[in-house]
Amino acid sequence: MKINSTIKTIFKASIFMVILGFNAACTSEDPELENEEELITDVTLKFTEVNEAGIPIATSFEVKAIDTEGLEVGGSPTIGTINLTTGKRYLIEIELFNSIENEDITEEIVEEADEHQFYFLGSAFVGTPILSYTYDDEDGKGNPIGLRGFIRVAEAAIVNNAQFRLVLRHDLNKAFNGANNPNFVDFVNADGETDLDIVFPVIVE
Amino acid sequence: MKFILTLLFLLIGFTTYASKENCILTIRGKILHEENNEPIEAAYIWIKELETGTASDINGNFRLNNLCPGNYELKISYLGHADVTERIEIKANANFTFRLHAEDINLEGVEIHGHQDAIITTTSVNALRGEELKYARGESLGISLRRIPGVNTFSSGSNISKPVIHGLHSNRIMILNNGIRLEGQQWGSEHAPELDPFIAKEIAVVKGAETVRFGPDAMGGIIIVNPAALPVKAEQSGEIDLIGSTNGRGIIGAASFSGGSEKIKGLGYRIQGSSKYQGNIQAPDYIQGNTGMRELNFSGAMGYSSQKLGTELYFSHYQTTIGILRDAHTGNLSDLEAIIQNGRPFSESEFTYEINNPKQLVSHQLLKLKSHYHLNNGAKLNLQYGFQRNQRQEFDRRRGEANTRPSLDLELFTNTLDFSFTHVTRKNWNGSVGMNLIQQANSNIPGTGVVPLIPNYDMVNIGIYAIEKYTSGPLEIEGGLRYDYRYVEAARFNSGELEERNFTFQNFSAFLGGVYALSSTLNFNTNFGTAWRPPNINEQFSQGLHHGVAAIEIGNPDFLSEQSYKWINTLSHNGNKLNFELTGYVNRINNFIYLNPTEQQFVSLRGSFNVFEYQQTDAFLWGIDLSSIYEINSHIEVFSRGSMVRAKNLTDNNYLPFIPSDRLETGISYKFHQEINNSSPKIFLENLLVAQQNREPDFDFAAAPEGYSIWNMGIQTPIKTEKSNLNVGLHVNNLFNTSYKDYMNRFRYFTHELGRNILVKLNYEF
Repeated sequence: MKINSTIKTIFKASIFMVILGFNAACTSEDPELENEEELITDVTLKFTEVNEAGIPIATSFEVKAIDTEGLEVGGSPTIGTINLTTGKRYLIEIELFNSIENEDITEEIVEEADEHQFYFLGSAFVGTPILSYTYDDEDGKGNPIGLRGFIRVAEAAIVNNAQFRLVLRHDLNKAFNGANNPNFVDFVNADGETDLDIVFPVIVE
Repeated sequence: MKFILTLLFLLIGFTTYASKENCILTIRGKILHEENNEPIEAAYIWIKELETGTASDINGNFRLNNLCPGNYELKISYLGHADVTERIEIKANANFTFRLHAEDINLEGVEIHGHQDAIITTTSVNALRGEELKYARGESLGISLRRIPGVNTFSSGSNISKPVIHGLHSNRIMILNNGIRLEGQQWGSEHAPELDPFIAKEIAVVKGAETVRFGPDAMGGIIIVNPAALPVKAEQSGEIDLIGSTNGRGIIGAASFSGGSEKIKGLGYRIQGSSKYQGNIQAPDYIQGNTGMRELNFSGAMGYSSQKLGTELYFSHYQTTIGILRDAHTGNLSDLEAIIQNGRPFSESEFTYEINNPKQLVSHQLLKLKSHYHLNNGAKLNLQYGFQRNQRQEFDRRRGEANTRPSLDLELFTNTLDFSFTHVTRKNWNGSVGMNLIQQANSNIPGTGVVPLIPNYDMVNIGIYAIEKYTSGPLEIEGGLRYDYRYVEAARFNSGELEERNFTFQNFSAFLGGVYALSSTLNFNTNFGTAWRPPNINEQFSQGLHHGVAAIEIGNPDFLSEQSYKWINTLSHNGNKLNFELTGYVNRINNFIYLNPTEQQFVSLRGSFNVFEYQQTDAFLWGIDLSSIYEINSHIEVFSRGSMVRAKNLTDNNYLPFIPSDRLETGISYKFHQEINNSSPKIFLENLLVAQQNREPDFDFAAAPEGYSIWNMGIQTPIKTEKSNLNVGLHVNNLFNTSYKDYMNRFRYFTHELGRNILVKLNYEF
């Protein structure tokens, strides 16, 4: 009979445990809306014609690439066309924005300048290039970032349209041999991952 | 020894009675433990009138030949168990089954039989235990199970590996952690099982479809991780493991201590813990950046056993931090293609113990309460309740403050309640009826700044089953039926809108199996089982980026349940010198869910990605496993293990992805002295041959890597004293530092497998 009472106790204890368990944590929470914070939805290239001293000599214009849904499936980006004039020199500034979170990503890039770098690739920068880019900014260690730079359009461009591929690399090794070249085709070798990879059409006249 | 005895008795029987007329009858039988139906080896069967007898073999089987027709008194005895005496009349060849009842455990000098449940199945069971388990100490569950033919791993790097049974993994197999089905986020290919292999005294694999007994999901098989039974006597024992490895400069420590109460007979306890600390691991030619890992686990158990009642309370905590190879986190498809082209990480890493993002932080707690009560006539009531909490946080490389926040943060609660009634007749029948209840709640912890991969959901699954087994001497036949009902309620935000969906699934599953002892050394097992698996939440709701493979994965909420029909056959031989096991199986799975590449590419500001859609197809898998050990003489033993799987997508007439290629492992071991109790130093050399997977799906990011051959060797020296036992082992894995990639490792896109690893293993038992 002693055993019987032991069983009863254990049985009661287990019932108690079950009830406790089922009540304790056992329905899921209501889902909360989670926005993509890291997303870049708006990429703005601001071109300003400058003289050899870098002084603006005309009003600036903007070319945008926009993808309101970011990486969500079904969204597709709208990419503007870059129109430039042969023989001219432009200041190019890049601004990044997350319209979902209303957040200025450019600031974040500046804060983590040593982990980010833009590369300028595509047919516009290859061979006898119609465009040539020079960085005009640097991080704390003297390495380029690419938020600000100069573009010179060739005097006699061999073609009048080409591709302007903009790549933003994150977490790269800037000390890697060749990584400071804005047209570094083998940027993957410098490690890191791609945050932006946009191909803008470019027309020079 | 027992074989010699058996032979001797057979011989005596033969010479005494062979000459007499009609004395050609044979009786065969099986001796089992009444409390758990495990076979009893070396029980003694005596025929009083003839003054002859025999002993039962490892499967509990016995055979007495050349008997004359007549009336005999049969007596069966086994240490610690009540004798069974039975008058039998023999007219023709006959079969008998006897179940022996354990004597009162309080008797002095009696071998105590704990209340550990055996896996009662007609499907053959493969297990790692004893010496073999000692060799595997310090390895993850997945890796150590590769010693069982037909079991492989599906990995994400060297620190994350999931077991694969007969080509199936994740939600298609089940892991029983001390009797409770392990419920983590097991759907993820990079989510390793959350349990500490150091708790195990035995790790068993049942390769048949065991859905009827254990519930949905177990269509590929089950893995059973069992700790030792708790002590029931007033005695103390313990074990300490210390393992060091050169690759990753890792150190593992584990300890367990168990004891029995002097005051209360039958009260026992155990405390146990283990810890791992490892830095960046090394491929033959380079160090893999950010591949360190940490693990901290502990558990406690207390139990009370009397003759009628057994009860146990168990708690375990598992916690790990796993660094993910930095280069495996790619930004877009061209990043992925670049690293595949390169064949190895771009980064040149240094050795460090530090773990940065990307990384995983996982913790898992289990609380279990289990009771059973022996009724009269061998019947038993079992009640088991389990509570599990699983927390998974995954961190990516992110900008600014977001880098300190996880991008995936999930908390999963699971309650399980299992009830069963098992009955045994003293002779032929035994079986069980039972009920399993699972209740689960999954929540995304807000604040990740990333759209969740899977929704929040609640799930309830109720299953009832009945299994009956008929045993008659060398023949066992078993059948079972089960009904399951599952209700799932999922909620998430889809493009800013709250979306709620409910699902109901219900299903019958059944199995029929049998074992036949062809002779005292040869057994044939067969099992045909149906199984089902409802679509998993990620297969229904995925809609987003899978970073590792630069792919957008899209689920389908309207999937039907998978249905599987598996037939598995095993022929096993346990001889004096030769042991072998040959298994063949076929498995047809209807509505098989898999990730299918679509032709389209998704273009975003971040570059382009491949698009994969979950789809249902009909699949057919078949394969063969073989393992054999041959003792050449008392010093030298050779073994060989091999497996092959073929898996076809029947709808598209092509191959399923991530199916293991053919493997063959061969080894030789040499014992310095011939001693019975394994106290001799032993040296071993093993070769593993893995073929290239030529049966690839139509699309893969990279072609299947070439086949490879690697060598491992080791020496194991036991130092025995009267009360303690020290085992010193020196193992070298990948002896020649071979550089290779394995098809079953998803990180083969990015990196090579581990280079040479020298391990020192100390195991001290007291």
